[in-house]
Amino acid sequence: MRKSILTRFRSIRTSMIVSFATLIIFALLTFLVLSLRYTESTVLENSTEYTSQLIGQVNNDIDSYINYMENLSFIVANNTDVRDYLFAENLTEQRKNQLQERITALFENVKDTRGDITNIAVIPQTREPLINNGVERLNPYVDVKELSWYQEALKARGEAAISSSHVQNAVQEHYDWVVTLSRYISNRVTPEIGGVFFVDLNYNAIQDLCERISLGNKGYIYILDQSGAIVYHPQQQLIYSGMKQELLSEVMETEESSFLTEDGKLYTISRSEATGWTVVGVSYVSELMAGADSARLVYALTALVLFAAALALAYLLSREITKPIQRLQGSMKEVERGNFDNAAIQVWDDNEIGSLSRSFNIMTEEIQKLMKQSEREQRAKRKYELRVLQSQISPHFLYNTLDSIIWMAEWGKNQEVVTMTSSLARLLRRTISNEQELVTIAEEIDCTEAYLTIQKMRYKDKLEYEIELEDGIGREKIVKLVLQPLVENAIYHGIKYKEGRGLIQIRVFCQDDCIVLQVEDDGKGMDEETLAHIFEQHIRDTRSNGVGVNNVNERIRLFYGAEYGLSFKSEPEKGTTATIWIPLGKDGENHDNE
Amino acid sequence: MSKKKTRFCLAAAAGLLLLGGGILYAKKESDAVRVQNIVLIQKALDDTDFWTSVYQGGRMAAVEYNANLTVKGPANERQVVEQNQMILEAIAAKPDAIVLCPCSSEETMPYAEAIEKAGIRLIIADSTMDEELGSAVVATDNYEAGYKLGSYMKQFVKEDTQIGIVGHVKGSSTATGREAGFRAGLEEKASQVAEIVFCNSDTDKAYAQTLDLLERYPGMDMIVGLNEYSAVGAARAVRKLGIEDVVCMGGIDSSTEQIQFLEAGVFEALVVQKPFNMGYLAVEAAVETVKGEHVEKNIDSGSELITRENMYTEENQKLLFPVTK
Repeated sequence: MRKSILTRFRSIRTSMIVSFATLIIFALLTFLVLSLRYTESTVLENSTEYTSQLIGQVNNDIDSYINYMENLSFIVANNTDVRDYLFAENLTEQRKNQLQERITALFENVKDTRGDITNIAVIPQTREPLINNGVERLNPYVDVKELSWYQEALKARGEAAISSSHVQNAVQEHYDWVVTLSRYISNRVTPEIGGVFFVDLNYNAIQDLCERISLGNKGYIYILDQSGAIVYHPQQQLIYSGMKQELLSEVMETEESSFLTEDGKLYTISRSEATGWTVVGVSYVSELMAGADSARLVYALTALVLFAAALALAYLLSREITKPIQRLQGSMKEVERGNFDNAAIQVWDDNEIGSLSRSFNIMTEEIQKLMKQSEREQRAKRKYELRVLQSQISPHFLYNTLDSIIWMAEWGKNQEVVTMTSSLARLLRRTISNEQELVTIAEEIDCTEAYLTIQKMRYKDKLEYEIELEDGIGREKIVKLVLQPLVENAIYHGIKYKEGRGLIQIRVFCQDDCIVLQVEDDGKGMDEETLAHIFEQHIRDTRSNGVGVNNVNERIRLFYGAEYGLSFKSEPEKGTTATIWIPLGKDGENHDNE
Repeated sequence: MSKKKTRFCLAAAAGLLLLGGGILYAKKESDAVRVQNIVLIQKALDDTDFWTSVYQGGRMAAVEYNANLTVKGPANERQVVEQNQMILEAIAAKPDAIVLCPCSSEETMPYAEAIEKAGIRLIIADSTMDEELGSAVVATDNYEAGYKLGSYMKQFVKEDTQIGIVGHVKGSSTATGREAGFRAGLEEKASQVAEIVFCNSDTDKAYAQTLDLLERYPGMDMIVGLNEYSAVGAARAVRKLGIEDVVCMGGIDSSTEQIQFLEAGVFEALVVQKPFNMGYLAVEAAVETVKGEHVEKNIDSGSELITRENMYTEENQKLLFPVTK
């Protein structure tokens, strides 16, 4: 089966955070792309409009220059002094000088008020030309009538003609860059006699206009005249040298007011009705987008911050959502360890996890019940086993004892018969008839003493015994019938084979939170091999009362735990000591409480 | 969840923010790096059209390539010591590149070497030096300029024409190149060159030398000046003698006086350099060198033959009359 991507993570929570993060990233990226696109198109739109306004302003400024020059030409053309100077016949020398003075005064006045006027002059066909202050002369090496602005003025028939930018070489010693407005002045009386008036606008005025406007660091403005020739271009020389290319015919031909080139330049175009000139603004998209760049950065940072915040939120939310699951998981681990007591979960939610928890609670309860039941059954079974083990007192012992009683009765030893019979009765009551699993140590010793009494009487002087019981232990409880088998073992395997009188010492005392029961004999003892195999005697010694040492050991361990039990210490021909360890004060509190 | 994971998440968030900040910082850094500082050291920082145009061209390139251009230069072209001092000042300012128009092909050498030793990119402009230095040399191809003049003047050379050449500095790379080019342009008529004199870029000396030449060679009817000073001096002499209709003249460079002589018909033709292009190309080469781009070793800033007829065309009037303020 293929694992789904999400379940590959170790926890649901990680899966949740990862899914959240993926969703958030997707949403943020979409948002980023859309807003960046939108910003870019907005920036471009705004820039186009802004540039349009700027170059429109340039065009207006140029128009106002031209308008001024045109008005000036109109005023001069209609000035009576000028008309007299041009058209009056038979002027006296004095009158001519007077007119010259007045006209040049007018020119000077204009030049003084307008710094951007380089030259203002009238060139009559018949009389001396008047230039600026009247002192300046025409360039002697140039035929002014051949100059293009002069020709254009004639062609315009009284209308104003506007030149492109050029070097004005009509005035001696001066080579200024200007834009010339020229006008042919004539009158109706003598249309063939007239003159050309021209006024030069300093080229710097136009250059300043264009340079003043900033279209970013690299952007620039250029101007074309009606024929498509360059009036102003910051890189004019480079273009003439072929080092730079500029879109000239494209700009002249296009109907659009702006267009984008493939190399990322935005051309914005404005045409003037008055001059016929075209002002073109060139801005670099990369520069326009510089603002968009910072916007981009802000967007990206915002997205990052949002992402971080969302991640933190996802972290917290997932904790809230998975908390019940984790509680359930923790609880299940407890159950796994067998700890049912704290397994139950408090259910707050009404969702799937709530119902899951409820089911879990019911399930653990059920399991707990079943386990307790099984425990009870186990205990009952063990008890039954114990009982089986306990109840098997050897019939041979009973026969022998009864035989002894018979013989003693025959011999009229009434006292002994009574003692032995009562001892047997005590022994039988303790071993067989008692239902209880546990007895007090005193009772156990009583039982053992009854047995010892019987055996002592049977073996006459061959057996002696001593019992030492530490004070206060008599009331402690012990699994019954553990001492008697040891005593029996001591008699049949120790004392019986001993020459002369044997002594069995029984000691019960406390040591290290334990009750120690010792049965020591001074009989034949055991070699090491016998000792090593002492608990393996599965075959019943038919002469014993049937409860072997192995049985005793088993029962103690079964009841108190594996750390307790029976141990032997023996030395051949010296005797054997059997020792039982059981816990002090642990009279079956866990086991006998049903 | 575990504290470890909490820490991981916080670290991740902090990492993202740091990344963002890093991008911002790196961007600003790279923006700052993009502006280059370039120093242009001219032969002279005067108001002549030539050096004004060189600067204007350089500034144009600086604006285009987003570089920071500073201009320096002594009061006139003969102040070699002052220029060398300015080179040291420029080195101390640690620019990315220096565009140097050396006043002397010899005395400027150690200072030009110092520029390169300081790890500053060097572009030589206008004139070459005795040894090949710098990443590129941006100059008028003098041979080409001379050749253009020679091949144009050839048409006026008659059987018995004697040609005089007024050079500027003997042995200088510009003078040698222009002379060789001029002779080559004349082709088979090069043999009619009677004499070449050198005026040491002194107009008055050129004037005197021309008078002397005309005296010694009464039949001399063609004189060319190889730079502004020699051409103007020669033209003044010819005009002084009033023989401009007899003597056919040509020159290199385009001062206002030369243009007036051209207009007046004293000069048949002038070969003009393109100082604006020179400045532009030099700064452009500097920017590209600093960026590590490939730059041609020798860049010709170009020249143009101007006659009375074509001097006011749209293209040529820009060359002859730079717009000044």
